[in-house]
Amino acid sequence: MIWQVRCKQFLLLTSLCLLNACGQRFEAPGIGDQQDPALSGNGRLLVTVAERSGRRAVRLVERSTGNELPLKGLNWGMPHRSPSLSWNGRYLAFILQRGERSEIVVFDRALARLRPLPLPGERSPQALTISPDGKRLGVQLLHRGQQDVELFNLPSHEPDLPPGAPLR
Amino acid sequence: MSKKAFFYCLFSFLLLGGCEGQGLQPELGLNPRISQPGDDSSPSLAATGMAWIAPGSAQVRWLDFSTGFGSPLPGLNRPDAQPISVSVDSAGKRFALVRSLAGRTELLIYERNLALLRPIGLVPAGVPAKVAISGDGRVLAVQVSRGGRWQVELLDLP
Repeated sequence: MIWQVRCKQFLLLTSLCLLNACGQRFEAPGIGDQQDPALSGNGRLLVTVAERSGRRAVRLVERSTGNELPLKGLNWGMPHRSPSLSWNGRYLAFILQRGERSEIVVFDRALARLRPLPLPGERSPQALTISPDGKRLGVQLLHRGQQDVELFNLPSHEPDLPPGAPLR
Repeated sequence: MSKKAFFYCLFSFLLLGGCEGQGLQPELGLNPRISQPGDDSSPSLAATGMAWIAPGSAQVRWLDFSTGFGSPLPGLNRPDAQPISVSVDSAGKRFALVRSLAGRTELLIYERNLALLRPIGLVPAGVPAKVAISGDGRVLAVQVSRGGRWQVELLDLP
């Protein structure tokens, strides 16, 4: 047993030590800086905030092909930040800047529907993360000069589970 | 349409409408366990818990949803390092971290089960700022500064 653990540790160490390779990048004409990366559960999809014509908007790319996937129904006129994806990429959560106000939105790619999720109280979202099943959000909030992290449930979401995962 | 079918449709409509109205519901049982005086940042959700950067001595923390309590992360935090960004896989076993240490910004992978922390080199060299790991823990996306530009780079992990 101890031998197996040691062996696993050694293999992991060796392989991690070799991790000094060039990464894969998805740049395209007209795309400036790219920030705030997030991945779907199996790493098939990458979302970033990309600068296009001076605007910061989410950009979804399929890793195997490098193709940018359409996100119809999103509001492209307002800056986006801090995107996060559920396991299969059905739910894309991010922060939308409406003038002075920041609000949390979740885009359901299966239904092509953008859902605003207002926060109770005068709190401003700074960063967020969606759970792999898409049923929970972790949000970094600014309230009276202090940053807190809070968890929220999204009870109306259908779960976005990995293939073969049991339904609970 | 029969009377029964009408009431069934009405009931379904009200039920769906009710679900639609359910927005963000704070997790009242867990949130008090996260909140501390000072600035919390960089939340990252797994299926089994959440990692984030807690205030005070700026440590990466892990909250286990099954117990509702924090669990130790041996070998991950050190008092002279400042974590900048953290991300965790779906199982809560593999963490990716960007931290500042002795004037350098470094990218690391932490294996929770083995309490192993290893640096990841970037080629060509760049300054990492933000990191995201895939749910299966096999792919890393890193926001890197090179020559005054922000790029996002993907790395496959063993």
